[in-house]
Amino acid sequence: MTFFTKPAASVLALTIGAGAAAADCPIKVGVLHSLSGTMAISETTLKDTMLMLVEDQNDKGGLLGCELEAVVVDPASDWPLFAEKARELLTVHDVDVIFGNWTSVSRKSVLPVIEELNGLLFYPVQYEGEESSKNVFYTGAAPNQQAIPATDYFLEELGVEKFALLGTDYVYPRTTNNILEAYLQDKGIPAEDIFVNYTPFGHSDWSKIVADVVALGADGKKVGVISTINGDANIGFYKELAAAGISADDIPVVAFSVGEEELSGLDTSNLVGHLAAWNYFQSADTEANSAFVDKWKTLMGQERVTNDPMEAHYIGFNMWANAVSAAETTDVDAVRTAMYGQEFPNLTGGTAVMLPNHHLAKPVLIGEIQEDGQFDIISATDPVPGDAWTDFLPDSAVLTSDWKDLGCGMYNTQTETCVQLKSNY
Amino acid sequence: MRRSFVAQNPSVLVFLLGLAAFTLGVSLLAEGFGIGLISTSFIKTLGKTLCLCLVAIAMDLIWGYCGILSLGHFAFFGLGGYMIGMWLMYARTEIIVEASLAQGVIPPTPQEVIDGIGSQIFGVVGASDFPVIWMFADSLTLQLALVPLVPAILALVFGWLAFRSRVTGVYLSILTQAMTLALALYLFQNDSGLRGNNGLSGLQNLPGVTAPQSAISLWFFWASALALGLGYLLSAWVVSGKFGSVIRGIRDNEARVRFLGYPVESFKLMLFTLTAMIAAIAGALYYPQAGIINPAEIAPIASIYLAVWVAIGGRGRLYGAVLGAGFVSLVSTWFTGGQAPDINLGFYTLQWVDWWQVILGLSFVLVTLFAPKGIGGLFDLLNRGDKA
Amino acid sequence: MTCKFRADLLLFFCGVLALALASFARPGHAQEAGTLQQLLQQDAALISKASRRTIGPVIDRIVASDLPAVPMFLSAWQDKTIWQRRADGLFFVGADMGDRTYRLTDIDSGAVIATVPKDDLKQLKPNSGVRGLIATALVRFQLSDPDPSLREEALTAIERRPEAGLLAPLRASIDTEPDAELKARKMRIERLLTIGHGRDPAERVAAIKDMSGDLGVDLRAALNPLVATRLQISTDLPEGVNLARVLSPGGPDLGRLEAYDMLAEAELAPARQTPDQIKTVLSNHVEGGTVGGVALVRLSTPDARAIAYDTLAQEGKVAPLVRDEEIDAALAAHVFFETYAEPNPEVTAAALAALQGIATRVGLNQTLDLGLDAISLASIYFLAAIGLAITFGLMGVINMAHGEFIMMGAYTGYLVQQVIPNHTVSILLAIPLAFAVTFAAGVAMERLVIRHLYNRPLETLLATFGISIALQQLAKNIFGTQARPLTAPGWLDGALVLNDVVAISYIRIAIFVLALIFLGFFLFLMKRTRLGLETRTVTQNPRMAAAMGINPGRVNMLTFGLGSGIAGIAGVAIGLYAKVTSELGADYIVQSFMTVVVGGVGNIWGALLGATMIGTLQKGIEWLNPSNTLAAQTYMIIFIIIFIQFRPRGIIALKGRAAGD
Repeated sequence: MTFFTKPAASVLALTIGAGAAAADCPIKVGVLHSLSGTMAISETTLKDTMLMLVEDQNDKGGLLGCELEAVVVDPASDWPLFAEKARELLTVHDVDVIFGNWTSVSRKSVLPVIEELNGLLFYPVQYEGEESSKNVFYTGAAPNQQAIPATDYFLEELGVEKFALLGTDYVYPRTTNNILEAYLQDKGIPAEDIFVNYTPFGHSDWSKIVADVVALGADGKKVGVISTINGDANIGFYKELAAAGISADDIPVVAFSVGEEELSGLDTSNLVGHLAAWNYFQSADTEANSAFVDKWKTLMGQERVTNDPMEAHYIGFNMWANAVSAAETTDVDAVRTAMYGQEFPNLTGGTAVMLPNHHLAKPVLIGEIQEDGQFDIISATDPVPGDAWTDFLPDSAVLTSDWKDLGCGMYNTQTETCVQLKSNY
Repeated sequence: MRRSFVAQNPSVLVFLLGLAAFTLGVSLLAEGFGIGLISTSFIKTLGKTLCLCLVAIAMDLIWGYCGILSLGHFAFFGLGGYMIGMWLMYARTEIIVEASLAQGVIPPTPQEVIDGIGSQIFGVVGASDFPVIWMFADSLTLQLALVPLVPAILALVFGWLAFRSRVTGVYLSILTQAMTLALALYLFQNDSGLRGNNGLSGLQNLPGVTAPQSAISLWFFWASALALGLGYLLSAWVVSGKFGSVIRGIRDNEARVRFLGYPVESFKLMLFTLTAMIAAIAGALYYPQAGIINPAEIAPIASIYLAVWVAIGGRGRLYGAVLGAGFVSLVSTWFTGGQAPDINLGFYTLQWVDWWQVILGLSFVLVTLFAPKGIGGLFDLLNRGDKA
Repeated sequence: MTCKFRADLLLFFCGVLALALASFARPGHAQEAGTLQQLLQQDAALISKASRRTIGPVIDRIVASDLPAVPMFLSAWQDKTIWQRRADGLFFVGADMGDRTYRLTDIDSGAVIATVPKDDLKQLKPNSGVRGLIATALVRFQLSDPDPSLREEALTAIERRPEAGLLAPLRASIDTEPDAELKARKMRIERLLTIGHGRDPAERVAAIKDMSGDLGVDLRAALNPLVATRLQISTDLPEGVNLARVLSPGGPDLGRLEAYDMLAEAELAPARQTPDQIKTVLSNHVEGGTVGGVALVRLSTPDARAIAYDTLAQEGKVAPLVRDEEIDAALAAHVFFETYAEPNPEVTAAALAALQGIATRVGLNQTLDLGLDAISLASIYFLAAIGLAITFGLMGVINMAHGEFIMMGAYTGYLVQQVIPNHTVSILLAIPLAFAVTFAAGVAMERLVIRHLYNRPLETLLATFGISIALQQLAKNIFGTQARPLTAPGWLDGALVLNDVVAISYIRIAIFVLALIFLGFFLFLMKRTRLGLETRTVTQNPRMAAAMGINPGRVNMLTFGLGSGIAGIAGVAIGLYAKVTSELGADYIVQSFMTVVVGGVGNIWGALLGATMIGTLQKGIEWLNPSNTLAAQTYMIIFIIIFIQFRPRGIIALKGRAAGD
């Protein structure tokens, strides 16, 4: 129970790493990932990643002469609880930075708290954009770093002329599909050639939807599926797809929420050739990546896989550590300023750069599913700078985010005014 | 003979005094008011717990006193939250949008302001037009009136349909659960006009109020305590009179009460609607403290938890409901908060985060089997002990 | 030709240059390059980073060279077994020798060159688009190949990319095709190709007539592009076009303003000003606190803005607003019409007629398919609910942990598959094992908990709910939160395809059969066995049953175990078609209760009818509102609530004493 303010509670906190002597020591790293409930499926992995990264940093001698200490709380996939736990982390545990959240709704729940208390959050998951908070660094992909390049790949490399946008009914698919619809129409795909469908979380009865998609091919255009289907529902979807005998050469499916972790619950032999777009795949052939994967497997078990949000935390944490060293303090404003322009090598090769809009510039990879549940990387772009406000929706096209020079996350370039300083939640 | 209401129900006085003392004590220790031993986040937790106690009282009225195991009261609770949330969101966004548009050279038209608010609120779900249900969102008074009104209408319609066709017992429970599920699924849709899965967020910021959260949290804590006190008083009054005797009669033998000439359906409907309104008010106080409301809150499981709290606290006694809700929700917070120390069994490290749910589940079973009177039953033992 | 720019950025430019030069020097060029390797080196950059947009001419050149190694190279390229040596950029066929080394073979001679470490090589990974182009190029080599699987591959490639050039080689290969099935397929594809690419209209119309009535998506895919229309604008209706229809602006198919905006977009008329544009223009013409004579503060209404704008327009500072008369005049001066993509009217007429004929049959078949889906969904609901029909329907026990028994069954199936890799054997073993596990769990629960609560049904609900969350969390602790695979045996892969519209996967058929088996089993058990008789007796009157020497405790225990056991088997089936997670059961519990309540408690036929009704209804609503599955579920539940009003005891209500609460 968070009865007491700082002094008493820090004794209770779950700690790793020994205490240190300096005044501000230990430096506390909050981990705000669900360890129970529906999202635990994805988020527990990220908690373990954070513990691994913190331990690594301590082995390297900590930061500013201090040990790091991870403070883990469990918001239990309960969105209001995210706000409560964030407040607890910032006021009771006095953490210097928070790494956390998976779903957009949980992020929106945390935003007001983080902004009110001037905290610092690193958000590691691909998301729908249309948001920019002074206190959040988005280390996952914005739509232009995942959805748009994947759609380009469909248009140019696969010659897809008709699109089925299938998604789970929540914010990320809704917004992403809105952006994609606008983008496709921009590219000359008529509105009637874009089929949109939303299903509930955990949907399992896919036969009709798959049949609908097949029927789209009736006017002789090549059909492609862009899937923002989330979590478990994918399993039923891919099973039905395989049962219907749809090969990736007939109707390719590119997924934005299916990674190594999700495929480990599936027999992938019937899915070979279908696609996923991410900024990271476990199969990336670099030294840094094989070291990372080896370390993860030794720690967590040989059957475990790595995925994109893990890399996002890896980059985010290391950038933060470097920024703290550069700023020589963990003060949020100082660290934020030091974050801009931070560079850190990606696990997939190349270097990620933190932009003034709190997004990373990262390469976009497209992978084909293989028999072993891994992805064969068949396309990699140059680093794409993340864009907080999409260029393809009229309302957002005029907005830009620049916390470094303009000091505004929602700046209207047409009227040259700052629409608002807080983020929209 | 007419003894005074309080004299008839000494427990009410004890409860109210206890609540007052608790509120005062917490306030004095709070960060935003007193010596600062209790953090703002814990004040919020306590305030929310008081709201949960209030909805537990509503549940106890309908289940403990009238025998209707409603698995839908959390839906009313959530609806109350949605109603107040609509105003909070609208008003907060209006301030932002007006400030932003005022920066332009040309003053905005009223339509531009509304469009701006619309695209701010619904931009998240890829829309920008205001659905009809937001018609009154610009008025605090109307939206406040809707807090009890909307759930009351839903309860009336549903209750009328259900009681009229004499659905009783477990059937009614399943039917109320279906209602909750339908409402949750409806709200989950983006097209529902209440931002789908995202729900309404940022509710902790009161529009136009610049006071820090440490103060706002206390205001809500006091309001919740007041609401709980009034709700308790109202409920005690309801169950102590003739109305109370009739509904208890319905619980014990519905057919007999009907034969005695009482319109059983009307009594049930009245109580069902009344408790729905109490639940809605509790929800309207709860969600501004939680900061966000979304359909997951309304999922059927929440209503089942509610029943479990009341069962653990002790049915058929109002303080039992309060005790159950307060105890279980606070203990849950403690165990899922990651603060409970792990237990190292040598071969296996027992983490509370993993095992708390198992223990909670099994404790329901044990309570139902061995202590059907719940925690409240302990007081009976105590009383008996006194007499002995 | 070589390119020696060092900067990466120039690589692309270099490739384009190479392409341009190569095509410039086209005649005799291929002959100069004596080997395939030399030919490939000319386009090395394009090949190693192949893109669908640029690889076409390269593949054409490779095929045109007529070198003997071409087919082998193309198929190796397609299979991702071509490797490029980093040192000299030469292409080889690579074979994995383990230990991150590859054995290279020369693409021309097939001679083994060397075995080298992977780091010295770069694998060519043509994407699916490029592989499609390669497949098309391979067609002419494969159509008459002795290997039937290669011929089939060629046909699939034609189906995917029906190009005009493939018609002739296809026709040539039909007569010599030995395999009857492949021959039929070849003839069908020939007809389809003729529709799009036949020599003259008569031949194409004949092909359309031959094929009419066929339900294949591929036929519609061949016909629809012919009758695709394009909206055009002109001042007069042109001659000699294959006109589909003329549209009148303001009519039902083309709005007046929409039409005008199209004119504006085609720059045939001045654009209308949007409110935003007016606002921007006004803010650009602010002079001393006024715009066009209107004070700034007054500009908060559209009317005031229009006045200010008009003033500006009169002063000649901005383009005047487009007025209604101008819109009408502009619309009157133009014709809006749609033309067919296919220039020949005979062909389009035949195609339209054929499509119309197909449409009715497609509609009928879609209804049939929907019906199959509904039956399939109903059988899943029935399977999930049948155990509940026993425990809740017969015994009146509300078992909220029923869903978790389903989950336990599914996990049992998963565990069995971990031990026994053969999927067929493991599934056959998993079914009885799942039954045994959940039977035991059910019996244990009945003995320990439910027995004590028989006359407190509401508290049974709570207690079993407690068990439910405990079991769910336990499953999470044991198996983790990640979904686990439960893979169906190979013979259940795929679908029963009646035609391109009606298809149903074998797993769903299997679930349907399983549901039928259970129905039969249940009926047999209840009507023909001692246990069934005793169960019915105890259900109707436990005291009387006890007086007759039946042990109600034992019967209750066995009945409950049976209901739970069936839930376990249902779990295996559901796991096969969906997913195995700790929340698997929770997804089905409310639906299962609905099924039993709607159908009528205490009667297996009721549960069957309930499941059928819910399944059909859900599919029906989904069909009406295809883009929102969630709405379908909401409306279905509302329907059920209303349905209960009229039949509070379900479709099949028990009568007489058994109906007592």
